[in-house]
Amino acid sequence: MGLLSIIQKIKRKEKEMRILMVGLDNSGKTTIVLKINGEDTSVISPTLGFNIKTITYQNIMGNGQFIIQNVEIPVNVTFGRYTLNIWDVGGQKTIRSYWRNYFEQTDSLVWVVDNSDLRRLDDCKMELDNLLKEERLSGASLLILANKQDIKGALTPEEIAKERLLADNFFLFM
Amino acid sequence: MENEEVLATSNEPLDPNLHKKHISMIERLSNRHQTRLDNSLARQSESDSSSSSTATATTTASFLSRFSDSKRSIDSQLAQSRLTDPAQLRSHLDGISASISDLEKLVAESSYFLPSYEVRSSLKTISDLKQTLENLNSELIPKKKFSFKNKASKQDRDRSVSDSKQTALENADSFSVSLEKLSFQVRVSPGLRNKNGETLVKNFKGLEIGEFTVSDLDSCEVRLIGSVRALFVHRLKNCRVYAGPVTGSILIEGAEDCVFVMASHQIRIHNAKGTDFYLRVRSRPIIEDSTGVRFAPYCLSYEGIEEDLREASLGEETGNWGNVDDFKWLRAVQSPNWSVLPENERVGMVQISNSGDGIEGN
Repeated sequence: MGLLSIIQKIKRKEKEMRILMVGLDNSGKTTIVLKINGEDTSVISPTLGFNIKTITYQNIMGNGQFIIQNVEIPVNVTFGRYTLNIWDVGGQKTIRSYWRNYFEQTDSLVWVVDNSDLRRLDDCKMELDNLLKEERLSGASLLILANKQDIKGALTPEEIAKERLLADNFFLFM
Repeated sequence: MENEEVLATSNEPLDPNLHKKHISMIERLSNRHQTRLDNSLARQSESDSSSSSTATATTTASFLSRFSDSKRSIDSQLAQSRLTDPAQLRSHLDGISASISDLEKLVAESSYFLPSYEVRSSLKTISDLKQTLENLNSELIPKKKFSFKNKASKQDRDRSVSDSKQTALENADSFSVSLEKLSFQVRVSPGLRNKNGETLVKNFKGLEIGEFTVSDLDSCEVRLIGSVRALFVHRLKNCRVYAGPVTGSILIEGAEDCVFVMASHQIRIHNAKGTDFYLRVRSRPIIEDSTGVRFAPYCLSYEGIEEDLREASLGEETGNWGNVDDFKWLRAVQSPNWSVLPENERVGMVQISNSGDGIEGN
């Protein structure tokens, strides 16, 4: 067995996913990514462009979990290393048109909603609808992340789902 | 090779190519020196086009001639200002200001092929023009004086309110356009909305309020005392907003002729026109689709503000008030849409209090 085939074998065991984080500006995309990665979130400027974070997850026992604050996210990994490439793209109006540059080879899409921004829910829904028409995203799974629920006065995920944001075939989270 | 260069600089007739390069460099240097001595852009363009024949020079020359043409026309317009009918003075000056910013755009667009000296000198010319315009502005149009003191006399306030009502009527068109897309509200969040010419006071202390909205106000003064998680500001005209620390983010969309004094972890400003911001921010403030916005450091005081700021991790000045990102101007040169508020035009410390003649918001 040559070195190449060893590397190939290891490679095959490694699972890699490309995750695209999008949503309106001020929804908390960068904060979420930094938080998952255990980085400081006290000073975050609005994203001009994009950030990429690679998170490698070692799983030995079977099902593992990420822990974000008090929320546990189960990850169904059977075995081995797991790599997430998270692309966090800025959400200001001017740079939304660049989102499509990141669609290629995206495995899953995380749409972040600011639950406390009641006024812009229409905008939020419209932008998501546009995104879902995109052919290059057709194979990707979608996660709608209802953020900022801890702010008093924010909508609950149920309200978001009911009012406008979701058709029934998407699932809601957090 | 090194030897050759040494020889060439000592004017030995060697490689003719090298020699030619050397001559042209000397020529360029003396040219630059001359232009430095002479500030007249017209002459600059002449000497440039006469001395060089390369491709970049022709574009530089054409830029310089365009630049000097518009500069001349702006100069003459500026000179006419003193003779203009006072009734049309404002629109006249606005026109000049528009042509100056056009000129600025021209420089920015040409900046990738212009030699850096030309970029610098053009920008200098532009800032001189702006200064002249500003001087004319303050000389010919007396500033409306409004005081930031807590207790402006009632009469004073009434007068300024009726003044601004008039201008509001004049601008009614532009306002109704933005009103027409009144978005449907799922539920009403706490806030101050739809007021005209009032002083609105809200104290968050002891209240369990997460997010707060200030929207659709005309000619109001808003005082927000205490701390809140998120603040949304929407469609304000001719208002002054004084706010204690926001521990999350502030989102401003649509502000005209306003003054904001606020502190927050994040601030996003969309569609603001002719508005001054006195900020303390932990991250870089951003603007988008905004023009004529100016920035200065935070300057608010009320009883207990020090503690509120400290609790919100905003106890120290961060210096970020001047690190503004303009999403509509992703270039190396300074955005024409915002500027630092000159120190002599800044308001002093603004003192607000809970008491007074204001009414409580709901």
